[in-house]
Amino acid sequence: MSALMLQLAGPLQAWGSAARFARRTTENAPTKSGVIGLLAAAQGRDRTQDLSDLTALDFGVRIDQPGTRVRDYQTAHHLDTDRSMPVSERFYLADAVFVAAVAGDDALIDRLHEAVRAPVYLPYLGRRSCPPARPVDLGLRSGTGVHEALESEEWRASTWYQRRLRREAAVSLPLLVDAVAGDTRADSRRDTPLSFDPLHRRYALRGVRTHTVEVANPWARGPAAPEHDPTSLLGGD
Amino acid sequence: MHLTRFRLNTARSGARRLLSSPRTMHAAVMNAFPDVLPTDTDTPRVLWRVDRNAKAEVFLYIVSPAKPDLTHVVEQAGWKERPNWQTYDYGPFLERLAEGHTWAFRLTANPVHSIRRKDGEPTKVTAHVTPRHQAQWLLQRQEAAGFRVLEKPEDQRLLPEGDEHELLVHDRRSNAFDKPEHQPAATANGKRKNRVSLVTATFDGRLEVVDPEALRRTLTRGLGRAKAYGCGLMTLAPAE
Repeated sequence: MSALMLQLAGPLQAWGSAARFARRTTENAPTKSGVIGLLAAAQGRDRTQDLSDLTALDFGVRIDQPGTRVRDYQTAHHLDTDRSMPVSERFYLADAVFVAAVAGDDALIDRLHEAVRAPVYLPYLGRRSCPPARPVDLGLRSGTGVHEALESEEWRASTWYQRRLRREAAVSLPLLVDAVAGDTRADSRRDTPLSFDPLHRRYALRGVRTHTVEVANPWARGPAAPEHDPTSLLGGD
Repeated sequence: MHLTRFRLNTARSGARRLLSSPRTMHAAVMNAFPDVLPTDTDTPRVLWRVDRNAKAEVFLYIVSPAKPDLTHVVEQAGWKERPNWQTYDYGPFLERLAEGHTWAFRLTANPVHSIRRKDGEPTKVTAHVTPRHQAQWLLQRQEAAGFRVLEKPEDQRLLPEGDEHELLVHDRRSNAFDKPEHQPAATANGKRKNRVSLVTATFDGRLEVVDPEALRRTLTRGLGRAKAYGCGLMTLAPAE
């Protein structure tokens, strides 16, 4: 078992799980379907190709920098015919940073790592118009599952964000991982891709368990100066 | 020797004027000694330091051979009704210093070194600006100054190297001001003549006395440069 670590950072990201028709919403964290789609695209798979080996991977994501939600009221026109497209409302996460991990069989993870380093179709952050701002590949962590790999990963938030939290020596980050069987306190989300076939996309439910992990803040302010009273040793006048 | 502590009333504009300029503060401190004339050259050193513990908790410490009279500072930057300063006899404490004792210390200093940028150029006094170099500056001088900064236990060190000692560098400042006797005049290259640039750092830590005689000298004569401008005064407090 090894884990492939991915860094998802960009000016805009959009991770829809219940987005339909003209209202394209985003979740607070990358979805499994979004990341599996990114990996399948990197491998050059067709939309209609089988995904069962990828959906069987363990998936987890850590919110290193939550970002802010922005709304775009889009009145696009067709490039050639100038016919207006349906007015749509699109939501994005601006300035967010995530670390995602997929874990599973070593051979498959190795092939995915190769694919991410030399992708057939370029990776994007949930929506075609959202390119990554940093390298997506963070390397392999051998012998660990998703949870441990994300727990020991350093904090990837932007420098300005880390400095803003410099009063805190350690920061706790939300961690969303696949629920294991028998987990009673899991949320469910319909973001396990069964098929990306444009004629009939299908998604299955997935149990998600939320944890928090503590990471060190490299910009934490040093210790405060101790009290110092040299007169405490001396007698009166 | 005497150690004096003066609490500045930071609500008064006079206090702000004194705190904003080491030159003004130096004049105020020197004027507290009626027997020392400005033209005296062989008088023993007067050292002073400003401790900014909190916005309204600012102390001026003075170590001097004679008792100071700070009435004029009270008028500018003190309280009207209450006595603002206490002078303690420093001698008995200095006599008690013995080898092997440990103390907490505080020192505000002007850490500098002499460098040349290229071969053949005369060396130039240049300030250390990073906490690491400033700490190194103090550690290089500890032996001659009669003390040894205690080392941290292995498990409390936060860095693989550079964090071996019980030493904290904080309140780093840089200040620049003109010397009083000359009007600030711009030279051809835009630099002002008689300009004093001062980089200071405050060190807090724990030390062990190695050579009591040398440490007494450090505590009364000061450590490093810029002693007129509030640098070089080291004080000791009980190490908890």
